[in-house]
Amino acid sequence: DGVTVLPAPQNLSVQSTNMKHLLTWSPVTVPGEIIYYFVEYQGEYESLYMSHIWIPSSWCSPTEGPECDITDDITATVPYKLRVRATLGSQTSAWSTLQHPFNRNSTTLTPPVMEVTKDGFHLVIKLEDLGPQFEFLVAYWRREPGAKEHVKVVRSRGIPVHLETMEPGAAYCVKVQTFVKAIRRHSPFSQAECVKVQGETLPL
Amino acid sequence: GQEFQFGPCRVEGVVLQELWEAFRAMKDIVQAKDNITSVRLLRKEVLQNVSDTESCYLIRALLKFYLNTVFKNSLDKAADSRIRKSFSTLANNFFVIASKLQPSQEKEMFSTSESARRRFLLFQRAFQQLDIQAAQTKAFGEVDILLTWMEKFYQ
Amino acid sequence: RAVLCISGGLPKPTNITFLSINMRNILQWSPPEGLQGAEVTYTVQYFIYGQKKWLNKSECRNINRTCCDLSVETSDYEHQYYAKVKAIWETNCSKWVETGRFYPFLETQIGPPGIALSTDEKSISIVLTAPEKWKRNPEDSSVSMQQIYSNLKYNVSIYNTKSNKTWSQCVTNHTLVLGWLEPDTLYCVHVLSLAPGPPRLAQPSEKQCVRTLKDQTSALK
Repeated sequence: DGVTVLPAPQNLSVQSTNMKHLLTWSPVTVPGEIIYYFVEYQGEYESLYMSHIWIPSSWCSPTEGPECDITDDITATVPYKLRVRATLGSQTSAWSTLQHPFNRNSTTLTPPVMEVTKDGFHLVIKLEDLGPQFEFLVAYWRREPGAKEHVKVVRSRGIPVHLETMEPGAAYCVKVQTFVKAIRRHSPFSQAECVKVQGETLPL
Repeated sequence: GQEFQFGPCRVEGVVLQELWEAFRAMKDIVQAKDNITSVRLLRKEVLQNVSDTESCYLIRALLKFYLNTVFKNSLDKAADSRIRKSFSTLANNFFVIASKLQPSQEKEMFSTSESARRRFLLFQRAFQQLDIQAAQTKAFGEVDILLTWMEKFYQ
Repeated sequence: RAVLCISGGLPKPTNITFLSINMRNILQWSPPEGLQGAEVTYTVQYFIYGQKKWLNKSECRNINRTCCDLSVETSDYEHQYYAKVKAIWETNCSKWVETGRFYPFLETQIGPPGIALSTDEKSISIVLTAPEKWKRNPEDSSVSMQQIYSNLKYNVSIYNTKSNKTWSQCVTNHTLVLGWLEPDTLYCVHVLSLAPGPPRLAQPSEKQCVRTLKDQTSALK
């Protein structure tokens, strides 16, 4: 295999938000040359039972980097080892391995974007499509003292979903949080949005 | 949220859809390599009419077998990266499930665990009657049968 | 009686696949290339995974059409199957061409439910009837796909033609009443059946529309 001349990529780290995982590193630079990087991963099973086995990343073998979307590679809630090396023609660097294995249960969950509308007396909500990992816990209530809060689990993504049939003259408020089955965690709740029948969306 | 409930054994944090997608990505390749179509490892007698209490013993035995015998040596031979990726997804999720299964070891459960063991032995004997590599390929091609049965316990 | 022919003398049929809807399993294929105008016939066999030999389908021996209904032969949906076809023309025939492993339980498309709509001034009642499993004879007793897929769900889409808005609801039971609708308004409904397991093709129902009645109170004024 090529003579190792190139320095190995440094400062590997993973930024993960809403189950989208991005591996980044400091670029290796050779003036006037294009450096390509190869990313590989190893789940807990491989590192325990077949530590010689590394699997090429779906999208970054090779890539011009210095980043790699590893979302499609992280498909179990176990620690994953990740490594990167640089290549220039036949020259390859040593592998640089992420200091701490990455587990998707550490992803940052943000409140989802929602659009609350109404069709006549029908309260309708449309939620952003964050992918199949996500369910939405939608809490809604009638805006009056002592009103009971209702919760509905919504799995449909990106399409308007019926929430409730409203009573004339009443105002209803809605807030939503995501739930990620694979890691058993919720996001914070979104801001509440209120809608009044026969009226426009009310500010809080 | 959705989880597996194999009788008393509850397993969270595994998304069955990911396992289906992993299998679908390799189904045609792996099943096409299985030339011994006259043998089915996960026959009806292995998986049909399994009681809830029996299911935890059976799934644990099957998953451990897949992890220790089927996955372990196949990954290096899998040249196709799609297969390697699917292997990894299935292996790591089976690993998560197996590590969370704690079937009861109490004496009164002996007959139930024995019944599960007999079912597992039907599978294992059929596996051992084949050349190891052919058996591994066949066991992989039958993951859809295993997942279909597991789905009955996914709520 | 099997016609003896020179195997491999013809190109194989192509695009062999199962088209399966509600467990009605039709094997279909395309004619071999380059034989336009020739009177080609086809013979089909099928195989149950885990059993010993290929089986004939007598109604699909030396046929002209490019499809064969194997619903009876593949009716045990927990089994897995293969099927194969070869082309025959005069004394020549093609080699067999085989399907992949076909698993009806996972691969059949779930047809839409039956939909019955009734309405009054401000509400629409939707009654769904679960799609039926294919049956050989009309007089055979019906088996609902719900009996095969116990957690069958329905995604009901409602389109308000006046406000031009659509919204949906996911339901598991078979009746749904939409109240507080607008009088004298045309609403359109279509429904999709959703079964567990790997993603599979689904057939949305025909769009059905119904108009809510005129508001009697304003009619009396």
